[in-house]
Amino acid sequence: MLAALWNNVDYVASVVLFLIGLYIIIAKNNLIKKFLGLNIMETAIFSFIVALGVIDRGTPPVMGPDAQPPYTSPVPQALILTGIVVAVSTTALALSLVIRIYQQRGTIEADELREME
Amino acid sequence: MKKALVIALLIIAAIPLLIGVAALPPHGDADTPVQTHVSARYLEKGVEEARTVNIVTAVILNYRGIDTNGEVTVIFTALAASFAVLLPAAMARRAASAESDEAPPVSMVVLFVTRLLAPFIALFALYVMLHGHSSPGGGFQGGAILGGLFVALSIVLGAEKVEPLLKSPFAPWLRIAAPLAFVAMGVFGALLTGFYLGFPQQEALRWASEAMVLIIEIGIGVGGAMIFATLFAEMEAQ
Repeated sequence: MLAALWNNVDYVASVVLFLIGLYIIIAKNNLIKKFLGLNIMETAIFSFIVALGVIDRGTPPVMGPDAQPPYTSPVPQALILTGIVVAVSTTALALSLVIRIYQQRGTIEADELREME
Repeated sequence: MKKALVIALLIIAAIPLLIGVAALPPHGDADTPVQTHVSARYLEKGVEEARTVNIVTAVILNYRGIDTNGEVTVIFTALAASFAVLLPAAMARRAASAESDEAPPVSMVVLFVTRLLAPFIALFALYVMLHGHSSPGGGFQGGAILGGLFVALSIVLGAEKVEPLLKSPFAPWLRIAAPLAFVAMGVFGALLTGFYLGFPQQEALRWASEAMVLIIEIGIGVGGAMIFATLFAEMEAQ
């Protein structure tokens, strides 16, 4: 088990990053910090999927004149490129909502907002 | 008490993740499913079929073009939703008070360096955008660099320096440039090949295939940069 984890230490790093993001979302009270935690979780997923496509001694999948196999898999990179843009979109919308909440209620602390109801 | 509960939850979440990660094939292995199925096919036939040397661009714009088409619509929708959330308050504020905010004072060094680097950043963004088919890069990356330049300029030089661009009559068209370029090229491809976003394969129509990739890249880059700049300006104005 430990040897398998050590072989896949790149994936373990993603798991650690994911848990950090999860901790921030649960434990922090400030809404902006919660969305930062969400972004850290997204980064963990992105790094995990990109790491899946890596191959030992792989080169970028650009078929120039001096390209040499083996190539890193292009599919995870392409999927994550679109995923990053969707992450930016959700973050932008979330921050807009935070701005509106602050204008309406004067606070972005989750527990104070809960008391107001 | 709460902290202990959170840590217990994290441990419970960590166990299945770590077990799953330990069961994956070793990192960097050449025989994993990621490397053997579609990836191998794309790497083998990509240059011939998609006419782009960079296979990542081939996957994004050609093999999975319809996916990317939906995805540029998502970022435009995010802009529209952000407008819908923020505009009513901004309009009320604008009606209530004439503009009184001035750009905060900025250090001379920051001002000088930003002014010095701005043209080079813009040139690099254009290079990344237009060279995406034959080297690492592409519309999204170039658009992000250009959008970052707009954000830096509006922080350092003041928002009113970028405003002429965002208020110009072309601005709405530039914001929707990415979906528009995609749909236009999709219909163009449909006229040539019979399929939406079909890239012609014949040797005689090679120019059309390359032009379609280039136009989509420029559309994504310009549209993405405008959307980033607009989102930033909209939030800064609050």
